Order: sequence, then structure tokens, then C-alpha cells
Amino acid sequence: MKNLMEHMGIEPERLHFSWISSAESTKFVDVATKVTEAAKSLENKEKKFAKTKPKVA
Amino acid sequence: MNSYTDKIKEISKRLLKEDKVDMVVGYRKGSVPLMHQPYIAQNEAEVDAFVWDSSCGLNLANYITDRTERIGILATGCNSRNIAVHLVEGKIKREQLYIIGIPCKAMVDRHKLAAMADGDITSVEEDEEKGTITIKGENFSETVNKADVLQENCSLCMHRNPVIYDELAAEEVPEQSTDEIDPYARVKEIEAMDPDEKWNHFDDLLSDCIRCYACRNACPLCYCPLCFVDESNPQWVGKSMDATDVRTFHFLRAYHCAGRCTDCGACVRACPVGINVRDFTKKLEKDCLELFGWEAGLSAEQRPPLDTYSPKDPEDFIK
Amino acid sequence: MSENEPKILSFLCNWCSYGAADLAGVSRMEYPTNIRVIRIPCTGRMSPKFILAGLRRGADAVWVSG
Repeated sequence: MKNLMEHMGIEPERLHFSWISSAESTKFVDVATKVTEAAKSLENKEKKFAKTKPKVA
Repeated sequence: MNSYTDKIKEISKRLLKEDKVDMVVGYRKGSVPLMHQPYIAQNEAEVDAFVWDSSCGLNLANYITDRTERIGILATGCNSRNIAVHLVEGKIKREQLYIIGIPCKAMVDRHKLAAMADGDITSVEEDEEKGTITIKGENFSETVNKADVLQENCSLCMHRNPVIYDELAAEEVPEQSTDEIDPYARVKEIEAMDPDEKWNHFDDLLSDCIRCYACRNACPLCYCPLCFVDESNPQWVGKSMDATDVRTFHFLRAYHCAGRCTDCGACVRACPVGINVRDFTKKLEKDCLELFGWEAGLSAEQRPPLDTYSPKDPEDFIK
Repeated sequence: MSENEPKILSFLCNWCSYGAADLAGVSRMEYPTNIRVIRIPCTGRMSPKFILAGLRRGADAVWVSG
């Protein structure tokens, strides 16, 4: 999934997968922070794939 | 390749006569040049309509999904791989099939030829010995080398001979090897781009799409009773020509083919506006080969990588 | 929260990451507020459709966690 998304031009920072057990609250906080940072690094870029209002000619 | 035609007719007639099959799936001359129609012959007389040349590009495996009859079917390399995919997915039983294997000498790209022509093409002639194709129209006639106008997937094909068959219609043809050509050159080209370039590349690629779903209908893998594009609750993808919707459709369609696509090129051939849909599917094919060592349709027994689990499955994308 | 904060759509498995998130909450740990959690019964139910649907509706990023 991720590979094709990136192939299409979605930035890798937009999609994350992780594996956290229910006891790993520290890992959860850790990953949550990293994901947010990654997303913030794209702040100024246009959102991709978002459906905006249809362009009317 | 016209020499195949007689042999195909002969085998088909024999099968129908001996009552080994109820029907034979093949091709007949299409209503437009360069597009032969899939045709189902149910008796010996109908077999006479069969043809075989370099315009038999649609995938016949599309016509055996969920059938209950005994079917004879022509199968080139990619067609036979799609039949194998059908067998694995339980869409047809092996006992029902009599596969007439056809060592494939590649198909021509109708979009390439149409681009060369000065007007509408009205007739096509093929010289098998010289390896040339002559296209004719009202005011022009042009002869080209067949090798120059092959469908891209055919020129990169590694499995020209059928992988499963009951009978071969001709001698096997030599296979191409990865030493001579790189089937994934185009994928690598796109991979080398940065995200914005990739995005724009696909924007350009899909800008002509008219959402006719011909690629879906031509594809033997697309047999869901209700396609995700037709689902309305929830609606995954809008039905408009909006660029986001078009992209969502193509993305999900390609993804549904992951690990199943044999790169037969039926989608590209069916596309009325000439979009190279394979830019999506080829990438998945490459990934499957690299990540799982898997090429679709080479075996009728092994389960595909995306519906099996192995502890060795790659997981470096998971944090 | 400012307008520019990204929205992250997260699909968390009920038994794993959702539990971890719960535990993090109970333990009063701090984590970013950009995360919008959807609890799913199992990550095995994830479909590419969900991710695309999220992005289409304007999520900045998607996080799937099992």
C-alpha cells in the first residue's frame, strides 16, 4: 500500500504503520509524537488526494 | 501469425466434434481494425470465424469467470497465467477447461499504429515472414516493422509460452531474458522522481481519463459482483471527472490487482484515450517480485502472497 | 490550537494500540493533540479504501497501528 502511494507521489510522511502492544504506552506516546512531527514537516505543502470543491469550468 | 489460425480451427473443431467441450473461446475479426473481438464458438460452423494474428490483445480469461460449462480456451503466455490466477481463486475448475496453448509472438499496439496513420485505418495486413505490418486507409498506406509497434507489455514480456496447457498449437517460442531487457525500466524512471514530480506525472497521465471503466471491464481480475466504484453507501469514490476521484479509482483498481496482475495489457489496449494504466500495475508487479519473489499466475496451486502469512513477510515499513 | 495544526487520522486496534493509548491516558502521559482516533476491532479489517477515504476528506496524514 505504502509503496504504491509513494509511487503515486504521496509524501512518505503522510502514511504511517506501527505495531504497539496495549502495555506499551510509552511507545504509543513516542510514535504519536513522531507521526505528528512528520505531518508537521509537510505543513506548507498542499494536501494531496483531498477532495476540494469541484472545479467548474 | 496467421499460420496459427488453421491449427486453432482444427483443434477447436476436433474438441467440439468429440464433445470434449461445450464451447471454445477465441477471437474473431473485430468491427474495427486492430481490435479482434473475443468470440465464443459453440459448434463447428462457428469455429470458422476464428482468427489469430497480432491484434488479439484482449484477455480471454475474462470470459471463463464462474462458468459452469466445459470450455476450450486459447491461451497465450499471459492468458494462461490469468487462467492460473482464476484456478487459484476458485473462479473455475481445472477439469472444466481444455487449454489450447499458444506460444505468443506478441501483439501490436493499436495506439501506436493509430498515431502513425494519416486518417482512419481501414485495413491491416501482416506479413509473417518479413515481420511487417501494413496499415491502409483512404489516402495512405504504411508498412512498418512489427517489432517497432509492439505493445509495451509484449516487448517486455518474460512468459510468452503458456504456463499451463493441454495442447500446444505450435512450437514454443524463445523467451526473452532479463539480460537483454529490463522490464521495470519505466517503473524505475518514475521511482527516481521526487514526490511532487510523481504527483504531476500521474496528473498528466490521468488527465485524459473519461472514467469509462473499460480498463476494469477488460481486466480478467475485475470480477467483483459489485465494484467499489458502484458502491454508494459508503461511497468510496465520487463518480465525477474530478481529478481526485479519477486518481482514487485508478489507485484502488491497481491495488486490487496487486499480486494478481500478469501484465497482459488488456487495460491499456481497451483504453479509448490511450492511457498507460500499466504505470500503476507494473509498480505493484515489481514490488511483489522484490518483496515476495512472486510472479502472478505461474502456478495454479500456490496461494498469492497477499492472502497468505509468513513470518518472513517484509515488515520494515512498520514502526 | 492554531489553524495550521495538521490533522492525523489514526486507526487504532482495539486490543493493541487503543489499549496503549488508554494506558497512556490513565498514566497521564502527554502526547500531541493532532491525533484523531478511530477505534477498529482489529487492524486486519483495515482496507486501503479507509486510508484513501481519510485523505480524501482532508486528513493531513494517516496512521495505522495494530
